[in-house]
Amino acid sequence: MLSYIIRRVFQALLVLLIVGLVAFAMFNFIGDPIDNMLGQERTEEDIARLKAQLGLDQPFVVQYFKFILSALQGNLGVSYEQGRPVADILVERAPATLELAAVSGVFALTLGIILGVITAIRRDGFLANSIMILSLIGVSLPTFLIGILLIYLFAVELSWFSSFGRGETVALGNWTTGFLTASGLKALVLPSITLGLYQMTLIMRLVRSEMLVVLREDYIRFARARGLSERAVTFRHALKNTMVPVITVTGLQLGSLIAFAIITESVFQWPGMGLLFLNAIQFVDIPVMAAYLMLISVMFVGINLIVDLLYVAVDPRLRV
Amino acid sequence: MTDTPAPKPKSRLARAWDSDFAWNFRHSPVAVVSFVVTAILLLSALFAPLLATMNPFDPANLNLLNGFVAPNTPSEFTGETFLMGTDDQGRDVYSTILYGMRISLFVGFAAVALGLFIGVSLGLISGYFGGWTDTIIMRIADVQLTFPSILVAMLIFGVAKGFTPVEYRDQLAIWVLILSIGLSDWVQFARVVRGATMVEKNKEYVQAARLIGRKSFPIMIRHILPNVLSPVLVIATISLALAIIAEATLSYLGVGAPPTQPSLGTLIRIGQGFLFSGEWWILFFPSVTLLTLALAVNLLGDWLRDALNPKLR
Amino acid sequence: MLKYIAVSAVSLACATASYAETFRWAGTTDPQTMDPHAVNSAPVLGFLNNVYEGLVRRGKDMSIEPALAVSWQPIGEGEGWRFNLRQGVTFHDGATFDAQDVLFSYQRASNEASDTRSWFAPVSDVKVVDDYTVDILTSAPNPIFPDSIANWMIMDSGWAEANNAALPDKESGNYATLNANGTGAFVISDRQPGLTTTLVPFDGWWDTAEHNITEATFTPIDNPATAVAALLSGDVDMINPVPIQDADRVDSRDGTRVVRGIEARVIMLGFGHEADTLKYTAMEGEKNPFQDVRVREAVAKAINVDAILKTIMRGSAEASSQLVSPAMRGYSAGLSDRPAYDPAGAKALLAEAGYADGFSFGLKCPNNRYLNDEAVCQAVTGMLAQVGIKAELDAMPVQNYWPELREDNFDMYLLGWSPGTFDHEHPVRFLVSTPNSEKKLGSWNFGGFSNARVDELLPLVQSEIDDGKRQAMIDEIVGIYQSEHAYVPMYVQPLVWGTRDNVNLTQRPDNFFILRWVTMN
Repeated sequence: MLSYIIRRVFQALLVLLIVGLVAFAMFNFIGDPIDNMLGQERTEEDIARLKAQLGLDQPFVVQYFKFILSALQGNLGVSYEQGRPVADILVERAPATLELAAVSGVFALTLGIILGVITAIRRDGFLANSIMILSLIGVSLPTFLIGILLIYLFAVELSWFSSFGRGETVALGNWTTGFLTASGLKALVLPSITLGLYQMTLIMRLVRSEMLVVLREDYIRFARARGLSERAVTFRHALKNTMVPVITVTGLQLGSLIAFAIITESVFQWPGMGLLFLNAIQFVDIPVMAAYLMLISVMFVGINLIVDLLYVAVDPRLRV
Repeated sequence: MTDTPAPKPKSRLARAWDSDFAWNFRHSPVAVVSFVVTAILLLSALFAPLLATMNPFDPANLNLLNGFVAPNTPSEFTGETFLMGTDDQGRDVYSTILYGMRISLFVGFAAVALGLFIGVSLGLISGYFGGWTDTIIMRIADVQLTFPSILVAMLIFGVAKGFTPVEYRDQLAIWVLILSIGLSDWVQFARVVRGATMVEKNKEYVQAARLIGRKSFPIMIRHILPNVLSPVLVIATISLALAIIAEATLSYLGVGAPPTQPSLGTLIRIGQGFLFSGEWWILFFPSVTLLTLALAVNLLGDWLRDALNPKLR
Repeated sequence: MLKYIAVSAVSLACATASYAETFRWAGTTDPQTMDPHAVNSAPVLGFLNNVYEGLVRRGKDMSIEPALAVSWQPIGEGEGWRFNLRQGVTFHDGATFDAQDVLFSYQRASNEASDTRSWFAPVSDVKVVDDYTVDILTSAPNPIFPDSIANWMIMDSGWAEANNAALPDKESGNYATLNANGTGAFVISDRQPGLTTTLVPFDGWWDTAEHNITEATFTPIDNPATAVAALLSGDVDMINPVPIQDADRVDSRDGTRVVRGIEARVIMLGFGHEADTLKYTAMEGEKNPFQDVRVREAVAKAINVDAILKTIMRGSAEASSQLVSPAMRGYSAGLSDRPAYDPAGAKALLAEAGYADGFSFGLKCPNNRYLNDEAVCQAVTGMLAQVGIKAELDAMPVQNYWPELREDNFDMYLLGWSPGTFDHEHPVRFLVSTPNSEKKLGSWNFGGFSNARVDELLPLVQSEIDDGKRQAMIDEIVGIYQSEHAYVPMYVQPLVWGTRDNVNLTQRPDNFFILRWVTMN
């Protein structure tokens, strides 16, 4: 087991290195930061000089090794756009994204499980069918459109929620939280729904199909036969047994919630890492893009590693 | 699908009609309705040039003074009327939806086919051989998962621009979309197939085939593949809807279909810019079309999953 | 929980009402630095105009007025300019302003590390005469020099040196990137790059405050729909810009209105003049048709600018015949007609040039740089198709666009130009003059248009003191670039700002948002 873990961690590191290499290879194609850093009255020689200063005149492999070398010393570089260390910027932006992802995750999980159970026990009923179709409508439109429609309805027309940003935040050390103010909590509502809608539908459908299978198992019939109430059967026995796949999927989805918060953050001007990344693409802010991608891959690789280790712990046959 | 009327001997048709699968289909109103809706949309995309009132992809056909005409009202400048109105360029929204749906469906089908091909092949290989092959493929999947499809799209676009001959440039964006959506799609197929393959390869029939000296690839394709296909088919259906929506999202991020040949997604991206200004029709009709298409395909996928799941019969 | 949310909603409503003098505004991009010499771009200079000041400043009508200099006069026969500085001015940190700060700011802003260096190309030396007098010497007579330095902002030498910021650092930033210490009407009280920047009035400002703001916060919102929603829902008091299509909606809604104007930016089409063959065409290897002036004229005639203005621009822009708008210094009033829309004439010209069957070529266009840029390019593509020439439109984000233009990957392209000096000489120097990197001429003349007479006239225009003679020479240059159809100017881009009804503000054609002119009722 220990050697398996060591091997996996080693592989994970290799994955990170390759992600970095691919990232640097593609930066050349995203555009050129020079035009953003110099004004209208720049000359050809200004361009050449700044390129040399930033090391952009070198092949991407060299740029990549420089990045890795300084990253190993804990230095992620300086943002081209903001002129300050990328690490500082990421620390500043992370709480917004993590809080949004957490709230969307909780929203998706709670509502997903409840609706999943309802649609499973009332299979083919009018309510269940309506819920199924409504949830599908939510995933049949692109996220950006759902976000804009929510803003239009709830912020502009009804004025229930604010149209952008995090509201007021409270600083707890390095962490800024929106959980402690009314405007901060209100600001979370629309983006969380936008971000969590897809996962909610996914979890709901997963719970429903697992429940449908479980409800036909013999032990459920026995439980019913023993005269247990329908509610006890549903929740204590059936739901409990659907939780393993649900938790696995949710765990994997948590990573993608953070990674793909990009669109939601852009629509709601949510000051998190996804918005930072989109701005970095527009500016061709290479240090920020590189650091963000590495961070996301650490997260994905980490989650995959944990899931794989759990599988191995559960099912020894899968050991290779 | 087995129930589509085909010019085959009657007995076979009748057999298909009587099969469990077809019976199940006939008795599910949701399945029938979504199948019919999907078919209508597919056909109208296919025959777009016959149904459309103009070819919106030919810039010479566009009269800018027909821009922003509301549905069924005469244009202020030219007096022409359009069933679903026109967009900012004076394109008839109805015709553009038909032509745009062609692009969206083409991108969707091609992207899923690509993801399916890569994912199933790598999944089979990974699950069957295990060991280092498996490790390498799964780590490639990890790398793939890290890259948001927008970045993949931008990379491919940048690289492709350098290598595409001039005369193919206007087709380029479509292929970039297919590649980038297909590439971000394959991992889920690979994971499902790998898991199923790992279970199947230990079953007696595969062991037996091995014992009688069958080669690995024929075993994979003839024996294992058919047994892992049904979950793959379900994912593929849902992926089709997702791919069409992903194309819209990429368009929103600025790497979509060219504005002179808008897809359904590009139309929605253009239309959302007119949400506040009152030209609702530019957003509304394409969105409803996309919604109907995605909903029908998803419902079909749902039904397929239930129908193929023996535990739920 | 629900109850709690309801209660908090009420308290929030009360809270908003009580701090009404806080002014919140949003723009598309965050100023990337607080260093006034590091980046010469409109978002940075516009923002910092509220914090830093120059020797001169521009008034509400763009006229030059005294700021840190109370008066100025030419030295001798055009050897330079003498500036008499204002006394009793202090920086935000309390330090006193004097001639040493001007000299320091000259050295800082004209250094190789500064993006504002080109402003000082005509300057040969700066001499401190006494604590409140400075001579700026120029290598040739320079009548418009005071006009050209309105955005040259003065920094305190002591502050910059004490904080290790004696030179701007574009690459890794320094103290002045995140902090500011000017003499202007507002002090930066909080700066969170990319998120919000908060300003408060400067108590020790030398001028009388016209505004009644107690605090102002700026938030970048790059999604146009979100920005409009923020204004309509009252989350911000002002946005710039309002998407053109949303202007009527914002204007007609209770509580919000639109402030319109004409920006200094002219939108035009450029050609590849220098390239001998087309880059994106089916007829490979043949001569570049755009080298023929008749083809360029045909393009000018084929474009129905009025239709673009009516639909895509919704009546808020004005057609343009020159590379500057009529509000700019040096505009040629006698040459204000642009070629009339005449598709038949365009076809005839094409036939005469030997392209009766048309040809295909590549049109490059940005899709996030100018107002509705992509829609305009599409419309151009359609109009050109109607006279028989087929443009392959390639629209891309601006970060890919400039490198493409620099590498000459175009046959025709879209460009917007806003003259930093508000003078016709500016676009002539950057767009019409033959590219010459040594003399720093024609650095944005991507197509390589070249005309010997224009090159001859430009230095004369730059050093001519007499306004009448200068205008005559500019008129000649305009005559040349118009008859040569070096560019096809289409329209002057509009300014569309949206505000709450209770906000009074002044809009300047340079699109700078000046906080000290804002009052809230």
